Amino acid sequence: MLLLVILLPLAGFLVLGLFGRRFKEPLPGVLASALVFLSFLLVGALLASGGARFVLEDWLPGIPFALLLDPLSGYMALVVTGIGFLIHVYAIGYMHGDEGYARFFAYFNFFIAMMLTLVLADSYPVMFVGWEGVGLASFLLIGFWYTDWKNAKSARKAFITNRIGDLGFLLGMALLYSLFGTLQISELKEAVEGSLVLPGGLALAGLLLFVGAVGKSAQLPLMVWLPDAMAGPTPVSALIHAATMVTAGVYLLARSSFLYANLPDVSYWIAVVGLLTALYGALSAFGQWDIKRIVAYSTISQLGYMFLAAGVGAYWVALFHVMTHAFYKALLFLASGSVIHALGGEQDVRKMGGLKKHLPRTHLHGLVGALSLAGFPLFAGFWSKDAILAATLSYPFGGVGFYLAGLFVAFLTAAYAMRWYALVFLGEFRGQGHPHEAPPVMTVPNDVLALGAVFAGFLALPKPLWNLIEPFLAPALAHLEAHEPAPLVEWGLLLLSAAVALVGLYLGYLFFRDYFKKKVPAWYRAFEQAALEGFYADWLYNTFLVNPAKELAFGLGLADRGLDRAYVYAGGGVGLLGRILAGLENGYLRFYAALILAFAALFVLWGVVR
Amino acid sequence: MLLLPFLAGLVGLFLPGLARGLGLLATLASGLIALAALFAPGVAFYAERPLFEPAGVYYAVGLDGASAALALTTSLAVFLALLAVKEVPGRMLALGLLMTAGLLGIFASLDLVLFYFFYEATLIPSLLLLGVYGGANRVRALIKFALFTLAGSLLMLAAILAARYYGGAESFLLRDLLSARPEGAAATLAFLAFTLAFMVKTPLFPLHVWLPDFHAENHPSGFADVMGTLYKVGVYGFFRFAIPLFPAAFAAFKPYLLLLAAVTALGAAWIAYAQKDYKRLLAYGALSHMGVAALGLFSGTAIGAVGALFLLAASALYTGGLFLFAGWLFARFGTLELAPTHGLAKHAPALAAFGLFLFLAMVGLPGLAGFPGEFLSALGAWQASPFFTLVAFAAVIAAAAYALSAYQRLFHGPPGKAVADLSGGEWVYATLATLAVAFLGVYPKLLSGPIHEAAQAFVAAIGGGK
Repeated sequence: MLLLVILLPLAGFLVLGLFGRRFKEPLPGVLASALVFLSFLLVGALLASGGARFVLEDWLPGIPFALLLDPLSGYMALVVTGIGFLIHVYAIGYMHGDEGYARFFAYFNFFIAMMLTLVLADSYPVMFVGWEGVGLASFLLIGFWYTDWKNAKSARKAFITNRIGDLGFLLGMALLYSLFGTLQISELKEAVEGSLVLPGGLALAGLLLFVGAVGKSAQLPLMVWLPDAMAGPTPVSALIHAATMVTAGVYLLARSSFLYANLPDVSYWIAVVGLLTALYGALSAFGQWDIKRIVAYSTISQLGYMFLAAGVGAYWVALFHVMTHAFYKALLFLASGSVIHALGGEQDVRKMGGLKKHLPRTHLHGLVGALSLAGFPLFAGFWSKDAILAATLSYPFGGVGFYLAGLFVAFLTAAYAMRWYALVFLGEFRGQGHPHEAPPVMTVPNDVLALGAVFAGFLALPKPLWNLIEPFLAPALAHLEAHEPAPLVEWGLLLLSAAVALVGLYLGYLFFRDYFKKKVPAWYRAFEQAALEGFYADWLYNTFLVNPAKELAFGLGLADRGLDRAYVYAGGGVGLLGRILAGLENGYLRFYAALILAFAALFVLWGVVR
Repeated sequence: MLLLPFLAGLVGLFLPGLARGLGLLATLASGLIALAALFAPGVAFYAERPLFEPAGVYYAVGLDGASAALALTTSLAVFLALLAVKEVPGRMLALGLLMTAGLLGIFASLDLVLFYFFYEATLIPSLLLLGVYGGANRVRALIKFALFTLAGSLLMLAAILAARYYGGAESFLLRDLLSARPEGAAATLAFLAFTLAFMVKTPLFPLHVWLPDFHAENHPSGFADVMGTLYKVGVYGFFRFAIPLFPAAFAAFKPYLLLLAAVTALGAAWIAYAQKDYKRLLAYGALSHMGVAALGLFSGTAIGAVGALFLLAASALYTGGLFLFAGWLFARFGTLELAPTHGLAKHAPALAAFGLFLFLAMVGLPGLAGFPGEFLSALGAWQASPFFTLVAFAAVIAAAAYALSAYQRLFHGPPGKAVADLSGGEWVYATLATLAVAFLGVYPKLLSGPIHEAAQAFVAAIGGGK
């Protein structure tokens, strides 16, 4: 049964991939969506019945093909199939009329199948199957409109950058295997928890797996592929590059929490990387003019928050944020998609504005998404972000520095969320044409997502109110003792972060309300320009890594030809020696006699000298 | 099993029209035999007859898990290649079948002189394929290939003789030689001689230089390249003979061998990126894979050896497939230069999908046939040397770069010159090859189980780890 969860969307991929072009629109979209929904129901049913397991022994020698549905993988699978279903439905409308309609849904179903493999795996190699599979789906979908070189290049960049992380994952598995002789996660868990003296290589293994997570979740320094990944159709950005695939790194850390809970040093660095990424993404978002790139940098930033949570040891909090983020970020992307759709493909926010009037429904979606992202009180993003900030103080690997820096990023988040909203929906319309609202097949999924973006946070509230998520996930996560602050302190901090969000939103509103009419200070212009370029990360990579590596490829190619030449000359040398020796055989007796004499003389001389 | 492709080849040589049909039947039969051997425990179809008793030379053949796996994929690869190529001379196919017979002989031999016989016999048809049907610079490529190979095999012959006389074995049977292994300096020298021979045939840096020219100059249909790919039996030679016969010498030289393997793996993948010719790119890519396989084997672990042999077996399918694919491109564009046009996915979506599939198998995407070998090699190699594992497997990044660039340059971008999509015959090949490559990726157990059995014997012979 568990296998069926994966096989349903996989079957969709095969059918649509092979015969999709014979189907009339919207059949491929409907079929693909239905299959994902079936998977969703199946996961729910299996979860209700207490989980499930599938094992094929000796898939590779000593390495089983193992799947496991426990609370953690079930939770994640519900997010993937649930949000995935909504985005599938949206895409039925969004991809309308596209030449590659069926191909799109084939890839989409393939992605879901691979993502479920990743999530349900109970063995690292199986997870790696899904891990690279979603990478491939991402490659295919970023480059979906492949006739434009720019899109093709972005797709390749994403895949190659991810491979750097994948190498870390691969080597991490090799190390774990050499330490414990198994790669099955439940066995490793027992081995790590059961051993009194932990092997010294464990920290390195944790670090290597973390490298994998950094690549997949676009953390510093491997974040450069995600903004370019926006070259794909907008539902792709929503599903893969916001709600699900990019959170796979967080999931890997949570799945491996039995490791990281024993590795304070590695965890510290995870938190630092997460925090820096959160800051980097938030600052870069201020400079973007592309409606999707703003949201993309915001995704980098929010993923950084999740890594911060996982780093300090609050694994359930990281997963809580994965879920709320999936709602509001998918909503933000799909609202952006509706805007782009309404403007006939326009993505530059400088040519938008005033869309509140023209697209009332989409405006509402955008507003809810932005407020949830900003951490507006009582919205979903508010609760999960506050849980992260609180965790930096209460969990063992946390610290006040993390809290303060996290709070500062929360302020930035509120400000750039407002920037996005104000530039798109407020003021005067700066573009051309007459924007028209999207059809119901696109707005209804957004309604559902908007409900989630508002209410999903109520699943886990601070004490003494209820928390449904932590106890649900607890059996599958490593337990770290948090020292609970007094409820008064906790609610005080809550008020503080609410205040920060409100101040950020208000200042953002003042500054960006009629941004194009006012005089902007020069220092902000300079900052904006640097942020637009993502603080020159791409330039740095190209100058110091990519181009030298390409040059070296040609250099090595030449060196290899040189080696080839060297053999030829060596061969020529042998030939020459042969000709000289052959020349000695000239038939003159006196020549031979002279030669014998000469060598005899040399021989005697050698004997004397010696 | 050996006889069938040989007979088919012989008949085909004189009656070129029949070569394809007979070849298909013969390879199908030998493939089925190998499949049966795969499921049988121990050494299947063992036969032993004295060939030249006074000298202790026997006709001793049999298939254990490892050789059965290789025989199976060899037969399958040739079977599929016969389906894939069209408009090629029947005699060329016949030569290929003779080569197949030799290859199966190499994998089945359990007597060293017999092994040497097949090793050399296979060379003749491969030289003829290159010499008769090759490109403009075939003579140069041929001389290079022949010199490297012959120099290697002469050393190997000396080593085979040395192995028997310094160890005092009663015959050239592998079994006898293993029970009376030579020791000391003689063993070291013999091991080095074997090593040089197999380094040429793996190939490993710096003895690989014949390979790019060999592939670039062979017949553009890619058929001869498939045969050449199958002929890269160096890793198998190390596994079956060189290392088990001289474990002490192997242990002494292990660090250097690991170094060469790692350099080959990374260097070749990197160089592949800079190539401007499809076949050269594939040659370097495949070379990189052999570096990875060698690394897995030289780890001296069972899991690494399984990885190495799995990689060897599986790459016959997808590397061969890519060479045939290059042949299809040649048939359409009349050139093997990379990217004679662009945006081809628009005109030929099925061709594009199949090409991407093969490239992905080559870069070791999990779920396809390239992954299990790479992955198990990594697990084994790490136990021997984490550093060299890191160096060698940095190639997975370079592999993504060369494979995707090559693919995208042709299939992505604005639609250019239009060409035909897959033809009926090509569909048959593409379907079967896809099924085979995907099946081995999803259910590697079919091969990895039997190979593991053989790998345990290998490890027992050298006293290595798991």
